[in-house]
Amino acid sequence: MNDHNLLEPSIVEQRVVGVVREVLKVAADEVTSQTRFVEDLGADSLDRITLMLALEDEFGTSVPDDEDSNLTTVGAVVELIIAQANKRG
Amino acid sequence: MKRRVVITGVGVIAPTGVRTQTFWESCCADRAAVSSIPAHWCCYFEPNSTVWAPLPAWEHETAFVGRIERMHFDRVTLLALNATVQALDDARIGRRVRDERKNTYLVDGIDPTRCGVFVGTGIGGITGFSAAQGNHVLAAISVAAPELAAKAGPLMRMPSRFNPFIVSMVMPNCSAAAIAIKIGATSTNRTSCQACAAGAVALGDAFHAIRAGALDTAIAGGAEYLTDEYGGIFRGFDVAKTLVRECDPPHRANRPFDRNRSGFLFSEGGAAVLVLEEAGQARRREVWPIAEITGFGESFEAHSLMAVEPSGERMAASIGAALDDAGVDASQVDYVNAHGTGTEVNDEVEAAVIERLYGREAAVNTTKSLIGHSVGAAGAIEAAVTALSLRDQQVHGCRNLDDPIRPLNFVRAARALPIETATSHSFAFGGHNAVLVMRRFRE
Repeated sequence: MNDHNLLEPSIVEQRVVGVVREVLKVAADEVTSQTRFVEDLGADSLDRITLMLALEDEFGTSVPDDEDSNLTTVGAVVELIIAQANKRG
Repeated sequence: MKRRVVITGVGVIAPTGVRTQTFWESCCADRAAVSSIPAHWCCYFEPNSTVWAPLPAWEHETAFVGRIERMHFDRVTLLALNATVQALDDARIGRRVRDERKNTYLVDGIDPTRCGVFVGTGIGGITGFSAAQGNHVLAAISVAAPELAAKAGPLMRMPSRFNPFIVSMVMPNCSAAAIAIKIGATSTNRTSCQACAAGAVALGDAFHAIRAGALDTAIAGGAEYLTDEYGGIFRGFDVAKTLVRECDPPHRANRPFDRNRSGFLFSEGGAAVLVLEEAGQARRREVWPIAEITGFGESFEAHSLMAVEPSGERMAASIGAALDDAGVDASQVDYVNAHGTGTEVNDEVEAAVIERLYGREAAVNTTKSLIGHSVGAAGAIEAAVTALSLRDQQVHGCRNLDDPIRPLNFVRAARALPIETATSHSFAFGGHNAVLVMRRFRE
């Protein structure tokens, strides 16, 4: 998948949801853009680190350590991925 | 009466096969693994040895390890898990999902509170540490001195991030812990760290624990992964002048027990895990054992960290202790799976000890002539070979053994062999000696 697809929110969200489901083993209908990893899906600190690694692997990108604490929902991750794709032009 | 301990499952992943069956078929065809070391290693140093035994690609998914867990584990642990799954399948121990998110299982037919895990390794998750250290240093250089980094070009190999799981990846007990977590084994969990004898010690300790009644089942063996991005681990052995130096042609380089040997063949790594059970439990599960372990003995040389004690006295003491433990005489041993590294002194001393203790009739081979030396995994892989040799009454040959250093009964090519009793030798850097005794299983 090329960077052009990373500018399309619905496609990015679909892939983020896929990663969240893979890491946290939750059903598709449990995950929306507003879903919170800790409060709604019960992710612990190791799950969150794993999630960030899996997202980096999925999108070939890097999640800066100082961004990590802000990435609490699916929607926040989608915004970061799109913002990074925009920066790469 | 002592409790009997049997091997009911064998799992091996090694340079000549990523499944036990393909590995054993390769042994029985005397196939070896050897090729040139990765070319980019030579950007960092000028090696004396230029060959190694690489692992083939393997499928993680078949070892119930998903993409997520591959981020958590060093390759040494992935190898250990791979061999464990094979061994459980071979022992017909089924499994059911315990926790889907953690990808853990319950095992059928054995009591997990009476199941121990024993894993030997020489250097644990050093590859993961090396990669993390590469990122730690080189990423900082890239930021502080981008022109220098650009000039260094291909030398700046590093992962894209510092792995946040590095602490658990690098710890030597990660493999034993990961296996026990994966199958819910809640009794003894032990990591052996005796270099080249670590796998044999793990099996010996597991054998003694079951025989003494402390456990009914053990998942035991050894695992090693020796390959870092920069070739630094290889360099360590190379600079110590332990590796084969006559490398042309590569397929003739590795020649343990031959007068023209020049060192051992460095292995990328591997693992072997055996399921050990109290014989009555195996009978109740209606599993026919592969072989029986009857003795284990150790000694320590108190001589040198890197060189074997030249008289062989302590080496012989470990063999004597193992035979005493098994209650057999050396003359009853039909087959010796030797440590047989291919280094000048080790082979000289071991061959002399074999002749002195067993005489010239026992068949002798060394699995390292086929797959090189995988340090902490070696003793376990060779124990697996010994068990399979007892099961199939078949031994593999010593590759490239044209001019033996002593007139022992070396197996020059794979052949059938009646075997009732066999030993497997492991003699380690540091001075640890460990020997297992096995016999053909009979009711």
